[in-house]
Amino acid sequence: MSDRSDRGDGQPLDRLNPMRLGLRHQLGLVGLVGLGTLPLVIDATFALTLALAYFWGVYAMSWDVVSGYTGQISFGHGVFFGVGGYTSALLNLGYGIDPVFSIPVGALLAAVAGLIIGVPALRLRGPYLSLVTLVAPLILVQVFIFRSDIFNGEQGLSSVDPLFGLSTFGNETAFYYVALGLFVGVLALLLLITRSDAGSVFTAIREDEDAVAAAGLNPAKFKIMAFVLSAAIGGLAGAVIVHTPSGNASPTTLMSVTVNVEVIIAAILGGMGTIVGAGVGGILLILLREQLSKVAWTVPIIDTPVSDIDFLVFALITLVLLYALPGGIVRWVIELGGQSVAKLRGRDDVAADGGQTPLEQVYDSYAEWFSGGDDDER
Amino acid sequence: MSAETASALDPDDGLLVLDGIVKQFGGLTAVDDLSIAVEEGEILGFIGPNGAGKSTTFNCVTGRYPPTSGTVYYDGEDVTGTDAHRMVTKGLARTFQEFRPLEDRSVRENVELALTPDKLFSLQGLRGETRQRAAAICERVGLGDRMEMLPDELPHAGLLRLELGRALATEPELLLVDEPFAGLSGPEVESISNLLSDLRDEGLTLVVVDHNMRGLLSLIDRAIVIQFGAMIAEGAPEEIKQDPTVQEAYLGGDEL
Repeated sequence: MSDRSDRGDGQPLDRLNPMRLGLRHQLGLVGLVGLGTLPLVIDATFALTLALAYFWGVYAMSWDVVSGYTGQISFGHGVFFGVGGYTSALLNLGYGIDPVFSIPVGALLAAVAGLIIGVPALRLRGPYLSLVTLVAPLILVQVFIFRSDIFNGEQGLSSVDPLFGLSTFGNETAFYYVALGLFVGVLALLLLITRSDAGSVFTAIREDEDAVAAAGLNPAKFKIMAFVLSAAIGGLAGAVIVHTPSGNASPTTLMSVTVNVEVIIAAILGGMGTIVGAGVGGILLILLREQLSKVAWTVPIIDTPVSDIDFLVFALITLVLLYALPGGIVRWVIELGGQSVAKLRGRDDVAADGGQTPLEQVYDSYAEWFSGGDDDER
Repeated sequence: MSAETASALDPDDGLLVLDGIVKQFGGLTAVDDLSIAVEEGEILGFIGPNGAGKSTTFNCVTGRYPPTSGTVYYDGEDVTGTDAHRMVTKGLARTFQEFRPLEDRSVRENVELALTPDKLFSLQGLRGETRQRAAAICERVGLGDRMEMLPDELPHAGLLRLELGRALATEPELLLVDEPFAGLSGPEVESISNLLSDLRDEGLTLVVVDHNMRGLLSLIDRAIVIQFGAMIAEGAPEEIKQDPTVQEAYLGGDEL
């Protein structure tokens, strides 16, 4: 957001040279290397917690590419995790297909689900689209409960083969790397796409769809692309997670209302419309919740330990953070870092951020929609 | 109300031909059997009092919504109801009267968007060529020294220039300019007029919409005046000014 002026010249590959990247990108790379070496110093339980956190990072990034970038807010991203996870689990359980092959099929079917939800998105705007996405996972869960003979209802499907024939106990480090690998791969792919021309069209759609059409670009095509891409990645994460100890093919892991809401919280908390922010948000969300569930301290007056009301405390912390940092943690850190770097270099010319945060933009467009605006004859 | 205007036009009568365009919203007829031919290389003034149906006509042509009936021909081809973005690809660009810059990016990046190919996977923007072309367009419309500003730092005239820049970036043959002179000072009107006539001299066809003739008189070659969605006069700007029907339409309202 801040170093627009140093990009532009030179060949694309040349600009991937780590030595020429901006400071915060270099720090990001160092951070990833740090995560790669972490299993040397942590125990198995914490490795699994982090693995779950990486999956949530991917969930949140998949939400961000469609909702954070194009402003098409999805309230039911779990439907894509669910389609991916259940597809892979059913293929594995019913037909004995190895997870290595069933996972891509899960991602593919999730992409098809993205198309099915994305096509109405071309006609529905704002709250109507959100309602469709809100209802879709509820329908899916009800179908799974109705046909419990296949989907095993609320319990979900268990005893699915683990990925690569790993064993659930003893191979925690391997699962850690599976999750980290997925996280890094998805991060790289989404960064590439959102930093290419498509990314600037996505954010332009969030700002003003008619202006995008007036620029000769087909907003429908780019919206569908964002939905399908997001669904495929969400489905991939859902499909992989059911073959690891981090989760199983059940509504609780993949598509409960809590999952749907927490994905949004993670992305907004980390920084909506940045990909990196969503990834970081997903990781922090799981770590924060894990920490809270271990706090034995008893809250006075209500006389309850924090660990019993961890979700309540978590929700309250979220509210405070959303109020204090509407642009998200990552944007806040970058801004803070930019200011201190500028101070160190004795400059005080940090570009004023005149734009709105994506959250404010989406709020504005909803408010405009409700007030019946968006008229040409103003 | 005007039986003499509704003669059917031929698709090849101009670069852009509207033949019997009707647009109804529920029971309201906003555009009533309007037939217009825009000739290649001219600057046509499209004039009418507020609420006459100018913007509605505009929106029917640019694909914002389809007309209820009638046909739009562009370059001899029936393009009725074609999507907005496809009309742009065909060579028909527009500006927005109320200015719709993308507030989250600089002036230059606004223009860059219009240079982006309509492809899902494109790395064109990473090569820096788009950046140079966008900068050249910013220079062309008089924003050369302000291209790194955010749109909300631009004055009113600057936003109009940005609208023009974004439209020009799509390399149009025909440019529809919606109410460019509203809210501009005298010198600004003159400067924008000069820009528009320069563009015409470079081969662009222009349709300039306005609710009065202020600033248009010296710019346009021909004017069409509409009222209640129907054409009431057509001709050279001086003739239009003397036309009794037009004077009546403006009686008590805006001054022509």
